[in-house]
Amino acid sequence: MSVLIDLLLAILTVYLALQCLLAQRLSQSVFLFFAFGLALALAWVRLGAVDVAITEAAIAAGFMGVLFLDALRDFSPAVSENQEDLKAVQNPPSKNATKSLLLPRLALGLGLGLFLLIALEAVWKTPDGGGLTAAAVALLPESGVEHPVTAVLLNFRAYDTWLEIGVILLGLLAIYAAGGINLYRKPGVAAKDPLLRQVILFSTPVLFLFGAFLLYFGKTGPGGAFQAAVLWGAIGIMLHLGGWPVFAVLPRWLGQLILTLGLGFFLVLGFLFMARGDALFEYPPAYAGILILIVETLAAISIAAALTTIYANINQMQEEPKQNESTT
Amino acid sequence: METYQIYILTSAVLFVIGMGGVFMARHFIKKIIATIIMGGGVFLCFVSFAQRDALTFADPVPHALVITGIVVAVASAAFALALARRIYQLTGEESFTNDK
Repeated sequence: MSVLIDLLLAILTVYLALQCLLAQRLSQSVFLFFAFGLALALAWVRLGAVDVAITEAAIAAGFMGVLFLDALRDFSPAVSENQEDLKAVQNPPSKNATKSLLLPRLALGLGLGLFLLIALEAVWKTPDGGGLTAAAVALLPESGVEHPVTAVLLNFRAYDTWLEIGVILLGLLAIYAAGGINLYRKPGVAAKDPLLRQVILFSTPVLFLFGAFLLYFGKTGPGGAFQAAVLWGAIGIMLHLGGWPVFAVLPRWLGQLILTLGLGFFLVLGFLFMARGDALFEYPPAYAGILILIVETLAAISIAAALTTIYANINQMQEEPKQNESTT
Repeated sequence: METYQIYILTSAVLFVIGMGGVFMARHFIKKIIATIIMGGGVFLCFVSFAQRDALTFADPVPHALVITGIVVAVASAAFALALARRIYQLTGEESFTNDK
């Protein structure tokens, strides 16, 4: 019975991925991408990885889907249809073009098929290494938390997590660079729909509480800094949509401080441990629990701020051409 | 057939679908989605092996790596999306074309 569920879920995931890439309209692709992310999250629950499922559903399907949806306004289907019409008028589709595409497509199909066989054989025959479960279980009492995934993320492999917070910040800087500095701060336009504003105001404290719960619950069960950060980031995104752009209201130095708080505190903590003669991010077992909670909270605040700012920046990108049209 | 074996095979299929999408898709957004699907295949492979090596609970190290990986993948995809929108703004093109 359970094998049947897994088989159905596997087929669904593959089907959604295929449909997502084969869909004619861009909006179809984006919505199928949402569905694909959620199906993948279900697969992770089946594999016993609840933390990964929450992260996938929240960040990969939710946040990325919101960014894609926002991009749809830019690459609107009407525009692309117009362009295709224009192209069709300028150079009518010739049979030569389709013929010349046939050979590369055939080669690509053959290559992908071959690659699929090799990949299937490789994953099927991967030798059983035993994994690191036993090592993680043995060290769990010293880590200061009870949930093994949180212990690995914030204690055993804290260095990876620190680098990851840095990568998010780096992504934000790169988006600033791509968008231009003139997009940095813009006052929001208040949402006209009073119902929307009320719903946003109502769900803000609920989301905040739920995020705080996930953050604290990460100590004993699935949850933690990243899951909480996405919920808090969702607050920022919703406030932005409702016309209260958080980081345009706050003073600039305060926004920058919030963005770098998680990374900076983590780093200072690591160097303090090194000054004591321990390794980088080697928590003393007596204080590990409380230190991890502080680091998680600050990291969650920083990541939430970074996600909000990424969304706000990408959202404001599309408003620039209109200004150019009005000035020229 | 064990649960993890089903998902290991699925992960290989997903990776290949994503790779085909990266080559075949024309629009920027579809290319970005294809890379995320490719990444999903890799993560699924990791988590499947974590389930195989489970004792009382699944191996936590691949789980932590996958959580890290998802966030990094999303950060890079967001950057790619920002670049795509910038290219669209400046040139009006939605895909890489050989015309010019």
